[in-house]
Amino acid sequence: MLKIDDLRVSLEEEEKQIIKGLSLSINPGEVHAIMGPNGSGKSTLSSVLAGKDGYIVDSGTVKYDGSDLLETEVEKRAALGVFMAFQYPIEIPGVGNMNFLRTALNSQRKTRGQEELNAADFLKLVRSIAKDLEISDEMMKRPVNVGASGGEKKRNEILQMCLLEPKFVILDETDSGLDVDAMKLVSKGVNSFSSSSRSFLVITHYQRLLNYIVPDFVHIMVDGRIVKTGDKSLALHVEETGYKNFLQLGKEKH
Amino acid sequence: MNYVNTSDWYNSLRREFEISGLGIEKVSRRSEYWRKSNLDIVSDFSQDNSQIDLTNLKGTSLHEPDLIVHGDILESVTERNYQVLNIMDVIADEKSFAKDFFGRLEKKSQNIVPRPLARDNTLNPKVGYVFSLSDSFNKPLVIHNKTDTSVSGSFQRNLIVIKEDVEATIIETGNNLSVFNEVTEIYLEKNAKLNYLDLTGENNVSPKIAHKFCDMAENSSFNHFGLRLNTKATRSEIELHLNGKGISTSIANVCILNKKHHYSDENVLINHNAPECKSRQVFKSIIENDSTSIVRGKIYVASEAQKTDGYQSSRSLLLSENSKFFCKPELEIYADDVICSHGSTSSSLDRESLFYLLSRGVHKNKAKEMLAVAFISEALEEIEDESIKSALSNYLDVWISSFFHE
Repeated sequence: MLKIDDLRVSLEEEEKQIIKGLSLSINPGEVHAIMGPNGSGKSTLSSVLAGKDGYIVDSGTVKYDGSDLLETEVEKRAALGVFMAFQYPIEIPGVGNMNFLRTALNSQRKTRGQEELNAADFLKLVRSIAKDLEISDEMMKRPVNVGASGGEKKRNEILQMCLLEPKFVILDETDSGLDVDAMKLVSKGVNSFSSSSRSFLVITHYQRLLNYIVPDFVHIMVDGRIVKTGDKSLALHVEETGYKNFLQLGKEKH
Repeated sequence: MNYVNTSDWYNSLRREFEISGLGIEKVSRRSEYWRKSNLDIVSDFSQDNSQIDLTNLKGTSLHEPDLIVHGDILESVTERNYQVLNIMDVIADEKSFAKDFFGRLEKKSQNIVPRPLARDNTLNPKVGYVFSLSDSFNKPLVIHNKTDTSVSGSFQRNLIVIKEDVEATIIETGNNLSVFNEVTEIYLEKNAKLNYLDLTGENNVSPKIAHKFCDMAENSSFNHFGLRLNTKATRSEIELHLNGKGISTSIANVCILNKKHHYSDENVLINHNAPECKSRQVFKSIIENDSTSIVRGKIYVASEAQKTDGYQSSRSLLLSENSKFFCKPELEIYADDVICSHGSTSSSLDRESLFYLLSRGVHKNKAKEMLAVAFISEALEEIEDESIKSALSNYLDVWISSFFHE
């Protein structure tokens, strides 16, 4: 589904390479977790995959379902099934949440050549998802994320995911700022959404989220590259020993 | 010197105003009130109207008109239970109630800001409506400025008196085809309320200046909403005198320009002369393609106007590098127990918000459109009447959509 090959990425504003030769293959139905210390390039990776500007791809390729993801427009990536749950979801005053969700869904359907969903069907769909995630009607009526707590914003991201039904999901530090109850709710949403045809890339600093969203593979990212790959036990190991043992691995690979 | 068909009171006022008018600073680039502005309004502006496609000039017409101003003719279209007079009949009438009101506010408005064009209007009215309202009307009064190529430039002079406890809404629509100078003097008695929506000027290529001067008594309320959609050279001058306790007022403006060398020029002066009054000013401008939006907003607080609450916000969304926004927010405060604030920003579309929408699959033009609609929403929120607000909001959604899909 997703194949990253020797990716190198720098910041646009300063000549500093953040991702320094990263390769990763994700097959349909797999859950991959990337863990790493602050500044290791985890969020840069998710931003580049989602298509955020401000980065320069120095070399390497990213293939998604056979097509060149890095050459694909941001909105086209979404229509192709790529979704990133933001670490810090944006507040957009003046844009109603419902209007935003419906426009997003129908824009994607239009891009894919599907018929637009009518207002009644849309409402029914969005209400049932909101109910599962315990998102209130009042919250749905507000402008996008305005006045929402950290937990509400993250739940709103998961609601968007369930509504838009992407094939490849990046969860960018979705656990940050969540209490245990909110994390359970978010994980429940993710787990009920997962299927044999969907893949996840879970980016996190801590192991605790991986108790709820269980990964098939865990990658440790240090200084812009993956230095070790294992199964979920690797995450538990990191939780006990920290990242310091891996920092040396990062240096050796230079 | 006497004037044909005018009353003695008007003739004597005219003589007095003509002489004192000599001292009013003329319109020029040197004047701080005209710097950066478009001066077409005072140039020898004669244009060939025969080439203008009137279908594109009909302007914003969301509502059926009650009154049509057509050149120097004032035409009443609907039946109402109050009388609307033509200003030309009023200044000819020795006993008109208007003699206690006409010109008084124009004269007062010259105290701080020189307004030479308002004085020209006082000396040369050609058409206009006058009414004194003793009962509230439920339906808005819609005044439409009708354009056709036979009409030359005009001085429109209006006078509105709203009696105690009476509420009214006026919507002004349509356009002008040549130089147009309008002065409206408004008197609000105790507890009176006037909502005024100026929806003129859409795609207008002819220069226009509209003055509104308003005297407000205790607990009265004046809410003004202005809309500027691709106006070539429109200037508005509003001056309010808050003379009694508990007055509230809101001045909001939405300006959207994307045609080369188009200007919208908003000038507001709010005089807080009494305690415990509240004023709000909200300006939103979306500008592109070498067009210019200007906002000069001043709050004056006299020493006796304690507990004044004054707010002013002027924000612009610049969609191209050569679009211009000039803003001059001013506070002049002589009282010590007041809350007054002003803020002004200029920016392009927020990249983070745009990325968020795109990342959810919203098409780029649609995403920009959504953010632009969101940007002006704060100004639209100033409109109290929900049905007018929603009609206008729908109208602007379509307008902004065409802006991004041209």
